Amino acid sequence: MIWFVIIATGLINFATRISMFSGYSPKQLPNWLEDALSFVPIAVLTAIIAPAVLFNDAGMISIVDNTRFYAALVAIVIALITRSVLATISSGLMILWALTYSGF
Amino acid sequence: MPDKAVTSSKDEFWLGVRDELPMMLGIIPFGLVFGVLGISSGLTPLQTILMSSILFGGASQVVFVQLWASNVPALVVGGSVSVINLRHALYSASIASHLRPLPLRWRIILGYLLTDEAYAISIRRFTNKPYSPNQHFHLLGAGLTLWISWQCATITGVLAGTTIPPEWSLGFAIPLTFIAIVAPAIKSRADLAACITAGTIAITGQNLPFKTWIVLAAIGGIVAGWSVKTVTRRPRRQDAGGPS
Repeated sequence: MIWFVIIATGLINFATRISMFSGYSPKQLPNWLEDALSFVPIAVLTAIIAPAVLFNDAGMISIVDNTRFYAALVAIVIALITRSVLATISSGLMILWALTYSGF
Repeated sequence: MPDKAVTSSKDEFWLGVRDELPMMLGIIPFGLVFGVLGISSGLTPLQTILMSSILFGGASQVVFVQLWASNVPALVVGGSVSVINLRHALYSASIASHLRPLPLRWRIILGYLLTDEAYAISIRRFTNKPYSPNQHFHLLGAGLTLWISWQCATITGVLAGTTIPPEWSLGFAIPLTFIAIVAPAIKSRADLAACITAGTIAITGQNLPFKTWIVLAAIGGIVAGWSVKTVTRRPRRQDAGGPS
């Protein structure tokens, strides 16, 4: 079953990627659709980020004593300043490790 | 006599490879983490490794294995993964005018290689530098560089998986990677609306059956962003008093 889903999603993804130069598409997407699609990355990625950052290991919303929350805050600031993926990942992980090992 | 201004296919290819190299800094840790995550989610090494070449989309692969590990129905896994990959239609539309004249076999190969990172690199070359009949080799170089490093990183992650201690919290590199993409991308009120709406639905919808919160948060965020953009644009159009 998992192979079927991997191959099916792979084919759908390929079809999405080739769609506009496949030879079977209009020359341009309608404006409203292009506008809507432009929000896909932000919407999808935030949906993955928010629970990963705001829930603790017990699956409860946690802010004050949640090391991941503070690490993410620092990472957001670093991302805005540097726009570097590597700087964001390394600063976030270092803050997380520092807080964990300092017994926060 | 060949025109000296026209770059050769070889030059274009290696330029694409070189332009893509800085992206490796984000891709390699991400691929490693995906490999580790695949194994710890109960997939076999073969399933994890081949997913990286069949599906070939980082964010969607992460969601795939997380949903699969939670016993979510296959249809919901497929739907969630496909919604995440909808953004590729936007890249496809944006780059189409440069690729449409190519023979079908080229369009198939370049369509397969059209990821966020390869698109971002090659669209710059297509729009900012003089046209060359060989410019599609730039996307081939960028896309293949990305493809090879993604496969190698996945395989390394699969092999290293069991030796990485869980207290390193390496899985946290995934939300951090996405923070690096999302935070600088928020430039307007509409972007912020998409972000806040998606985040709120994702948090409050955790108890919904089959982890449908991923799809609902994605669609909610898209609708919120689109609505704010549409509403805030309308007055300006009337002021302009004509088509722009």
